[in-house]
Amino acid sequence: MSQSSLYPIAASAPAAPLHAMAGHFFTVFASGEMFGIPVDSIQTVFQMEAVTPVPLGPQEILGLVNLRGKIVTAVSLRRRLQLPDSNPGDKTLAVGIEHKGESFALVVDEVGDVIILDAPTQIPLPPHLQPQRARLTTAVYRLEQSILPILDMNAIFDFLRRG
Amino acid sequence: MDELLNDFLVETAEHIDAAGLQLVVFERDPSDKSIIASIFRLLHTIKGTCGFLGLNRLEHIAHAAEALIGRLRDGEPATPDMVTLILAAVDRIKFILSELETHAKEPDGDDGDLIVAMQASLAKAPGPASEPPRADFSQPIARSEPTSMALEPSATDGASAPTSAQRRRPESIRVTVGALERIMILVSELVLTRNQLLELTRRQEDDVVKAPLQRLSALTTDLQDAVMRARMQPVSRLFASLPRLVRELSVELKKKLHLVTEGGDTELDRQLIEIIRDPLTHMLRNCADHGIESPEIRLAAGKPEEGTIRVSAAHEAGYITISITDDGRGLDVEQIRAKALAKRIATASELAKLTDDEVCRFIFMPSFTTATTVTSISGRGVGMDVVRDNIESIGGSISFATTAGKGTRFSFKIPLTLAIAPALIVETGQHRFALPQHSVVEALGLDADTKHLVERVQGSLILRLRDEVLPVVDLRELLNLDAAASPNGMLAVVMRVGTLAFGILVDAVSDVQEIVVKPLGASLAHLEVFSGHTILGDGSVVLILDPTGIATSLGLEQASDYSVGRTIEPFRPAEENARLILFRAGRGALKALPLSVITRIESVAPGAIEYSDGIHVLQHKGQLMPLMQIEESDRPQSHGNRPILVLDIGGESMGLIVDEIADIVEGCLDIQIAGASPGVIGSTRIRDMVVEVLDVAYFMRLARPNAFARGFAKRFKVLLVDDKPFFRDMLSPVLTAAGYQVTTAASGMEALSLFERGARFHAVVTDTDMPDMNGYDLARTLTGDLRRAPIPILALAAHAAPAVLQAAAASGMCGAVGKFDRVALLDALGKILDAPELNKHDLESRILGDAA
Repeated sequence: MSQSSLYPIAASAPAAPLHAMAGHFFTVFASGEMFGIPVDSIQTVFQMEAVTPVPLGPQEILGLVNLRGKIVTAVSLRRRLQLPDSNPGDKTLAVGIEHKGESFALVVDEVGDVIILDAPTQIPLPPHLQPQRARLTTAVYRLEQSILPILDMNAIFDFLRRG
Repeated sequence: MDELLNDFLVETAEHIDAAGLQLVVFERDPSDKSIIASIFRLLHTIKGTCGFLGLNRLEHIAHAAEALIGRLRDGEPATPDMVTLILAAVDRIKFILSELETHAKEPDGDDGDLIVAMQASLAKAPGPASEPPRADFSQPIARSEPTSMALEPSATDGASAPTSAQRRRPESIRVTVGALERIMILVSELVLTRNQLLELTRRQEDDVVKAPLQRLSALTTDLQDAVMRARMQPVSRLFASLPRLVRELSVELKKKLHLVTEGGDTELDRQLIEIIRDPLTHMLRNCADHGIESPEIRLAAGKPEEGTIRVSAAHEAGYITISITDDGRGLDVEQIRAKALAKRIATASELAKLTDDEVCRFIFMPSFTTATTVTSISGRGVGMDVVRDNIESIGGSISFATTAGKGTRFSFKIPLTLAIAPALIVETGQHRFALPQHSVVEALGLDADTKHLVERVQGSLILRLRDEVLPVVDLRELLNLDAAASPNGMLAVVMRVGTLAFGILVDAVSDVQEIVVKPLGASLAHLEVFSGHTILGDGSVVLILDPTGIATSLGLEQASDYSVGRTIEPFRPAEENARLILFRAGRGALKALPLSVITRIESVAPGAIEYSDGIHVLQHKGQLMPLMQIEESDRPQSHGNRPILVLDIGGESMGLIVDEIADIVEGCLDIQIAGASPGVIGSTRIRDMVVEVLDVAYFMRLARPNAFARGFAKRFKVLLVDDKPFFRDMLSPVLTAAGYQVTTAASGMEALSLFERGARFHAVVTDTDMPDMNGYDLARTLTGDLRRAPIPILALAAHAAPAVLQAAAASGMCGAVGKFDRVALLDALGKILDAPELNKHDLESRILGDAA
């Protein structure tokens, strides 16, 4: 993967960093929006093929996929963010992520590049962020043209349990 | 080597090694009662077993040593001479065992020297119970040199004795779990690869490849089986530490606790055993701390002072269920509500909407504890959430049921992870699912003609199958699939889980494949209708349907009773009405048979009945079915079809030719006149008609003698209680072969718990010498319980000595037999059970027995 095409603007912002979240982030797209994922949690990026749906499962879970002999649970980022599904014909990419011993595939529209973010560019979570979004976001960074929310892997893959 | 002998050697070798260690302690401190008792029991077992196996030399020496140590057990002080003699006897036994292992027979030679020395020591000892002097007691050789005599093996043995220690090594080695695990993973992958290969070559007709591939396939299956076996261990390993834990809890909490464990011989993958150890321990702590009340409260509530915790394991449809039941106060819903509110887990308005059951689920929230005081037992911040996570991490689930004031039951459902099982691949619309084959009974095609078999009654589907009505569910409804029904008809797959039978409707069964069960991840583990997922030969992922979960989601789960020690399934009284089929056959009165023994009724053209080798036979489904005529009919046989009652016995069928089916009635089998002719149990009155009740066993015995011996003849249920697996393994086939239906229990407690759960037996055969609860105590408990009908109990002792007979009679048993006297055992049981008079209970067993 090529190095960043996006550069965060230099630091002149908040004095106290909220979290030590700086580092390498992988960017993914869903419904035109860009999100960051900590690079070290990503194992692979692959093209989604045959998905076995899980009846009665959480609706965010698209199904199960055979990834080189390993069964991974495919989670739709769009559905997780309560965005509308993409068109059925569109190709889907997935990011392989290991979380608490379980293998997941985060299904996205598009993958971007790896970018390096500095702590000073981190900004507080915008207060008007939808609660559902806020729950899935660990941090937000200021980029040159936009704002980059960093997804919280714990929250993304933690489904409401039915006890 | 003879398998029995091999078992004996393995079991004894283990114990004797332990005894060797204990003897060292024993020598230092010969007054330690527990060591004496344990060595006594070991010798006792060896003696009994040897009698059975015809190992005379070993039996005699063990007998003599047992007598000697029996003295010590009775409280006589141990003299150094006696200790030396016992040590020498144990050494000699070890030596003979090692010879047995190499040559499969006892070595030549004589232990007269040692036995005489021991008997002499026995006679010399001044115990109150000392026996009268015997003739050999005065032999000078025994008296003067007992020590040196005893320690030297007799001349013929001398040469091989020193090497015996090396030779008699147990045939097992320790393997690290990691190594075993690696082998298991490799085998699993091998199976998958094999399946893929088979899938690829299925369409090819290349014999050059096919033959070796078949062989590879067979070998893979064998290998997989062997590895699975190597990993299995009985759950009793897990249970072994519980009594101690409960004892400690009992002391610490100042509560009276009683632990009952059941199903210790259920086998489970050894790694799973380790994983559930902590959750189980935690659950027991919880039961003792939160569940069971203090003795004062229990008494005030009218409960026994002693709280009972029951831990039971059972194998059920590819799962192991471990239940932890207590008869304590039950979960306190109000307290949980209050706590949830206080911890801000839920708001008051949210709580108001939740059912009690949902509220109770809060106990699985992290750091949720309702105990008002934090104790060292369970209030450690390690809560039910950790227990649940542990169980779910292996693809299991945890469920609970509670009744205020009565108790709580938690059940761990643990899948046989890594288990490789055959499964049906079923299709519904575009979806495919794997259905484990072990719970599938049959699959019925439902095309246009047979569709009427499935009906919708008040919104629920039912399947009419022979004389049973089964609940069924359409898989697409169960799983909310939006697939349209297949135009090509459907299949009903009938499954059985425990005692429940039910069906699911699918479009087709496309394949049968071996699947490697992989547990679902935590995000999907809550879906009870799936037990896991797997990759099929073609590389696609399918979900594995869980029959037990489907039954639960259909609301078919059996009514649960949380209270401990109460009869769950009441015994059906013999007077209960039975459905009878009335028919005419030959002259005389109407004949009757219980409907339950009849599999189906066929209508057969007279021409189809052929006569061969002295019996009537009918070609049926490509097999010959023997037919019996109940009585020579006086009607002309030529016109019209004749009905045939088809009975199923031990997997084989036979038919009864009758003239005409008259009716099916509900009636009480109350025999008023016992039958005089063979094949007739007796006469009874049904709806003012005199009816002859036939003895189905008589016809089965004639038509299918072998199958009868296997199945129907096992009409008496016998409970065999012995703490030694060896004796259980040896005696239960003896009893089974003699036509009894045998259930075994490994301890008095286990036997009692079988009774408490409603099991009924016609007789109990119990070992007298067992740890914890001996046979006499068991008999006293059983006979003292007035709620039960009296049940004959037979004692199994080393010898049917007068003292044993007395003790047996005193504790309410009806006799005692030697453990290794098979003939006497069968004789005694026969006398007790095959009593000539025809009582109702007997009749019920004879008719409704296992053939039903």
